[in-house]
Amino acid sequence: MKNRGLKKIISLSGVMTAVVVGLVLIILVSVLIFFVQLYDDSIEQNSVISSEQAARQVLNTVENYTGDMADTMELIAEYIVKSGEEKEDFFESFLEIRSDVAAITTYDAEGRLLDCWAGERELKENYLRNLSYAEIPEEAGLHISKPHVESLLEDYYPWVVTISQKMRNENGQEIQVFMDIRFSNIADYVDDVGIGQHGYCFIQDTDGDLVYHPQQQLIYAGLSEEEEKLQELADGSYIRSNVIYTIQSLDNCNWRVVAVSYVDELITSRVERMIRICVILLLLMLLTAIVAGSLFSWVFAKPAKRLTSAMGDFEKNAANFRFEPVEGTSEITALSSSFGHMVLRIQQLMEQVRQEEISLRKTELKALQAQINPHFLYNTLDSIAWMCEEERTKEAVEMINALARLFRISISKGHELIPLEKEIEHAKSYLKIQNYRYKNQFTYHFDVEESCLPYFCNKITLQPIIENAIYHGIDRMVDEGHIEIRVREEEQAVVMTVEDNGIGMTQEQCVEILQKEPGDRTGIGIKNVNDRIQIYFGESYGLRITSEPDVGTCVEIRIPKLKEERQ
Amino acid sequence: MSADGKTHRWKRRILGALGVLLLAACYFVGIRYIVRNLTVNEAEAGESGRHYVALVAKSTTSAFWKSVFAGANAAGTEYNLDLTFCGPENEEDYETQNKMIAEVVEDGAEVIVFSSVDYEANAAAIDAAAAQGVKIVSIDSDVDSTAVSCRISTDNYEAGQMAGQVILDSGPEDMKVGIVNFDKNSANGQQREEGLREVLAGDSRAEIVAAINVLSTTEDAWEGTKQMLLEHPEINVIATFNEWTSLGVGYAIEELALGEETFVVAFDSNVVSVGMLETGEVDALIVQNPFAMGYLGVECAYNLINGTDIGETEVDTATTVITRENMFEEESQKVLFTFD
Repeated sequence: MKNRGLKKIISLSGVMTAVVVGLVLIILVSVLIFFVQLYDDSIEQNSVISSEQAARQVLNTVENYTGDMADTMELIAEYIVKSGEEKEDFFESFLEIRSDVAAITTYDAEGRLLDCWAGERELKENYLRNLSYAEIPEEAGLHISKPHVESLLEDYYPWVVTISQKMRNENGQEIQVFMDIRFSNIADYVDDVGIGQHGYCFIQDTDGDLVYHPQQQLIYAGLSEEEEKLQELADGSYIRSNVIYTIQSLDNCNWRVVAVSYVDELITSRVERMIRICVILLLLMLLTAIVAGSLFSWVFAKPAKRLTSAMGDFEKNAANFRFEPVEGTSEITALSSSFGHMVLRIQQLMEQVRQEEISLRKTELKALQAQINPHFLYNTLDSIAWMCEEERTKEAVEMINALARLFRISISKGHELIPLEKEIEHAKSYLKIQNYRYKNQFTYHFDVEESCLPYFCNKITLQPIIENAIYHGIDRMVDEGHIEIRVREEEQAVVMTVEDNGIGMTQEQCVEILQKEPGDRTGIGIKNVNDRIQIYFGESYGLRITSEPDVGTCVEIRIPKLKEERQ
Repeated sequence: MSADGKTHRWKRRILGALGVLLLAACYFVGIRYIVRNLTVNEAEAGESGRHYVALVAKSTTSAFWKSVFAGANAAGTEYNLDLTFCGPENEEDYETQNKMIAEVVEDGAEVIVFSSVDYEANAAAIDAAAAQGVKIVSIDSDVDSTAVSCRISTDNYEAGQMAGQVILDSGPEDMKVGIVNFDKNSANGQQREEGLREVLAGDSRAEIVAAINVLSTTEDAWEGTKQMLLEHPEINVIATFNEWTSLGVGYAIEELALGEETFVVAFDSNVVSVGMLETGEVDALIVQNPFAMGYLGVECAYNLINGTDIGETEVDTATTVITRENMFEEESQKVLFTFD
């Protein structure tokens, strides 16, 4: 029972809902994880690619720029050998055109300032320090200094880089040429390079000193700094927690372009949004699952439950069960209709079995009825023979007549039910024969209501009871016995009683006698009578025995008021 | 089953199917709507709704203020703010400043980043703005109002002390000090002077022989300094406390050719005062960090708008002493010369 209760709690719809919700959850979460991973990877890859592209673009521009510087130096070298006015004219117009060149200075081999061209600006009379001059390294190529402030000119302090080269002047002496360039051109360009929302590019030299950074002033003001030590890294892309650094070196000088982009801002916000959408979807799915579950229950589980309870009812009371078809999905309807068929079939079979059982019983009982106790027949025939011998012809004839009647009624053309009148006649014949045999050891008396006579009853009903009263009640008595037979009509039934004043029985014997199959000696037996009445008329009819030892026994036979014989 | 029952069942089925279809349609439309809303909201947030922050300065022309604006712009760009700058033409004009405060409040400024001309005279206007729900961030020069959410400036007292220390460290043996300060009502100038006086009072070699207040213009400071030097020829140290008065003092020294004899400590830097430092009219510059002031002021404004934690309510920006000896050091270059 407990198990059953448990089963009831986990209903079909509940399981279904749980399964749907669970599935949706698993699918959604795994899809989410998969998607986020995929998205993460692809975004990261995209970031790296776009970072690299941005760096490459800046690199190209800066390379052009430095290439241009180299060209300029070559141009200067070309004109520095010229003399006098031509040289002066060149530098004058050159500085006019190239507004980003702050100054060009030349020094002799010992580092003494020879010349300075600065366009409209004036060289300071006594400059405090010369930040532009530095020893030119021996190796060939373009030498670009760190950014510094132009310190040679009057009232003009731009940030510049200095490009230096050794040349020979018109006299063939070795001189050092320095060109200070404001790099505002590339600065503007670098400022405009954006990667993602907050990504940017900057230029540093191989020592890690900033050449140009879009937030240079912020960094100089101490409000910002590049956290990574990038100068130690080779070219390539580096992913540091949420920042992608892409470093590329220029071929023609010691500058490196660094692109900085933030993976985090690209991915996190989108992933967060994705997760938010997914959570909403999940909730929606949950809602759907619940709705679907209840819908399912409505469509499938409820009819299934109805079917189950119908089956339970059928189990309890198969004979009187009436099946109402259950509607629902096709499966349920199919189940329902097969169950309906099954119910009908089972009920038919049950009825058939019952009928077969009854007819079998009837056949059995008929066979029993046909058996006449042989001792009774021998004894009776003995008695008749004895009467004939003594020439008590009249009595013998009476005896034979009684015996003939007894048999005739016993057979009754094979009918089971006979009118009460015949039955009573049968009983009377029997008693007459027995009374001869027992030499008037007992008396008997019939008290029959006239109105009862037409009613039908099972044949050989009274005889076995009277037989029992004689053999077990009166035969062992010392005094004269008496058997009183009454037939009276009640409202619903005809009641026959056979009462004797014999030795009586105990309560147990009374019960036993209705259940025990008769032995060989006795005839049909009381149980047989009772069974027959109940088979024909139902449980409410039959025998009731009341008895008291040494007082007598009373057997009451109750049969319905049946006017016509029916089979 | 009867024919009637059959048609009834069919009807029910069709109705059911229609209901399910309708539900499904609603469902998908709903999902689309939600997803699109989510996406659109994020996209829109970036476009519209730029917050308006107004920077009301003391002046708009000096290199100091240009640097403040540059810093403010850097922050404004970084935080996507609608930023405006304004300030009176001369640095004593608190009335114009008050009008400007009222105007930017009218225009819907959410935060005013403010540098006060007059510690007391600006207070009422600031309180009125605050009463309208505008948040106030004070930079450079403070105002007498409790409505100020955050104060970002040089530690003026300390800057004055630094000036005093430079004088004591590098000045002549016997110090006769003249002070050229600007408007008496401006909080930062007074604090710097106090700091200076405190340090000098602790040393017997130093004596303050004169202190004047001039208008915050080069011309007035020039005239005033000349006057003071003529009246007190013994003065061999001059301290002055902002960009304009520094130039005035420098020009006066140059005019009187006292560059060798006089030790001048000036404030802030521009091309001219750096030149004077190089040529000797000025001997030391107390350089503030105006770029940081502007940047941090606007950053603080952004935090106030978003209701995020602004951290400390008093922020001191760095001050550096620049002398002729260290002016071209790498670090000094970064402080002294703006990168543009």
